[in-house]
Amino acid sequence: MAQVFVASLVLMTMFGLIGAGAKLSNNLVAQKIASAYTVIFRGTPEILVILLLYFGSAIALTSLAQLFDPEVKFVDVPPFWAGTIAISLVVGSYATETFRGAFLGVSPGSIEAARALGMSPLQTFVYIRIPEMWRIALPAFGNHMLSLVKDTALISVIGLNETLFVAKQAIATTNQPFTMYIFVGLIYLAFSSVITLSVMGLERYGKRTTETAR
Amino acid sequence: MSFDVGLIIESLPMMLSGIGITLKLLVVSAVLGLLLAIVLLLMRISGKWYLNWPAQAYIYVFRGTPILVQIFIVYYGFPQFEFIRDSILWPILREPTGCAIVALSLNTGAYVSEILRGGVKGVSKGLLEAGSALGMSARQKFIYITTPIAVRLALPAYSNDVVSLLKSTALASTITIADMTGIARTIVAETYAPYEIFISMAMIYIAFTWVLQRTFGVIERYLGRYTKREA
Amino acid sequence: MTTTAPLICMQDVDKFFGDFQALKKINLKIGKGERIVVCGPSGSGKSTMIRCLNRLEEHSSGHIFIDGSELTDKVKDIDAVRREVGMVFQSFNLFPHMTIAKNLMIAQQLVRKTPKAEAREIAIRYLERVKIPEQADKFPIQLSGGQQQRVAIARALCMQPEVMLFDEPTSALDPEMINEVLDVMIDLANDGMTMIVVTHEMGFARSVADRVIFMDEGEIVEEAPPASFFDNPVHERTKAFLSQILAH
Repeated sequence: MAQVFVASLVLMTMFGLIGAGAKLSNNLVAQKIASAYTVIFRGTPEILVILLLYFGSAIALTSLAQLFDPEVKFVDVPPFWAGTIAISLVVGSYATETFRGAFLGVSPGSIEAARALGMSPLQTFVYIRIPEMWRIALPAFGNHMLSLVKDTALISVIGLNETLFVAKQAIATTNQPFTMYIFVGLIYLAFSSVITLSVMGLERYGKRTTETAR
Repeated sequence: MSFDVGLIIESLPMMLSGIGITLKLLVVSAVLGLLLAIVLLLMRISGKWYLNWPAQAYIYVFRGTPILVQIFIVYYGFPQFEFIRDSILWPILREPTGCAIVALSLNTGAYVSEILRGGVKGVSKGLLEAGSALGMSARQKFIYITTPIAVRLALPAYSNDVVSLLKSTALASTITIADMTGIARTIVAETYAPYEIFISMAMIYIAFTWVLQRTFGVIERYLGRYTKREA
Repeated sequence: MTTTAPLICMQDVDKFFGDFQALKKINLKIGKGERIVVCGPSGSGKSTMIRCLNRLEEHSSGHIFIDGSELTDKVKDIDAVRREVGMVFQSFNLFPHMTIAKNLMIAQQLVRKTPKAEAREIAIRYLERVKIPEQADKFPIQLSGGQQQRVAIARALCMQPEVMLFDEPTSALDPEMINEVLDVMIDLANDGMTMIVVTHEMGFARSVADRVIFMDEGEIVEEAPPASFFDNPVHERTKAFLSQILAH
């Protein structure tokens, strides 16, 4: 599960940043594409995206392979990648809005002050905007990470060898579905708790200079 | 490969029949979830530790575990116990639809109660002080001051949760329910046309989402009418 | 000063916020019809003191008597006091989701159980008193700051209190709106309302107050009628404060 999480975290952040960048840019085409991206993936159930990517890419790749070698019957796409990309796309569409909101949420006064002091656009971006941005985005970003953790369970539906899938097989032998699923739930709960605590710690770290001493 | 539009048109009636089930899952779970959320909220803000802690624990567990696992526990796991099979709830819990509704309601209830709590916390302290100064009781302040303002504040986040609930209903297909996603999977299994079917299904969900968002937008504007300067 | 028992009596009142002592041995008597102005630097405890009078803050020790009854933990005592004491806040605190009229009516209906029609009549009457009856069916956001504060005064008056507390009523207002609110307060004073006003408006203090009280670091440092307070302050701290705020 950790592998899926890390991979999807990286992808989700990428999709989110690219999407936010596109929406904030002056390029109308980029804006439209990013808008379409958020509308499509915020409105579609994750499981549908997983199924579509998995079966769809299998079919696409099979056809592609058959162009080269008509003997090929079926090309499999590893469920890991189909699933990971799918959930990254979906959570990434939410992350786009989060990053966009964080970017706009940086107080314009700070930016003006930086420019008035003579800082270049790049310096302003790196030293003023980014620190403020990640402070603003952190709570929501933490929620996105939690969504990713829980969405990894969905990939079991396409046969990924992760926690829930393994549990289903164990149930076939032990015949104790309740116990096994509770166990799975606890594993996920532990994982979520670790993330939640880490985010809380990071939030406190980020606030250490902004809260006034009492 | 080609895009078989004919296939979509043929399958449309079947896909649309799934909408009824999806709607049923959505509405019933949303209503039950909201009721549960209100109970949890009152427990959380009661100030009494023996109400607050269990509510917090419940919310923590249900928000920290995947909804799919919760569905499986209710559908596959509960029948393991004799006392469940003998109880009056069995007719509900025997059916996949009943299980899905139970799991979805329990789950959304946890999320919505936190959303409501956010709304309650957002009410300015000063307004409650004014109420106190005028002699209003705690109950009166909660009903006439806190609730109207909290509802308006919570609405955007609540509308997001309803959209999430819609997407979660798709998981009902994993326990054999013939909702929209369930039907899509059946058709794809027969026709090997994942693109056409899943993409059309996605479009129906997106349309659904759009309707929900517009509806909430109208409600938000109505509730927010006193926040605009122009009459 | 009146000869009958004081309307408000604070005896040896202390207030702690954790380790911090906000009020130190406050002793104060206020008679019916008196107009008291409380001034002092930020953090001196002026707001805390008047907020103790309607239990928005709980005093840590000592006794507070309002119109003969002691202010204690008991809900009945607190409710009885809040019916007699009206409060106007620095940030107005009008209920944003109710019309002006409803703002004035809601407490009457809920606390005094006044029927709706009568409550509305009383509301309109007080809106006329503060000179904005035509705004009755608007929402607070549609009014200017000065108008909102006047509505807040009317709202407190609708409960027909014995005493009105004002917590820096004009501090959040743009300068051009301060006078319309002060005028209403002067009117009220001339009609005989017992008032305690925490404010920096020294002109108001000079012309309206019966006594001016200077507080610093939780204590009442000096208490005198305005003429002697402003012209012949006794304590060093009072002199320092006056020179600061009257300088510009």
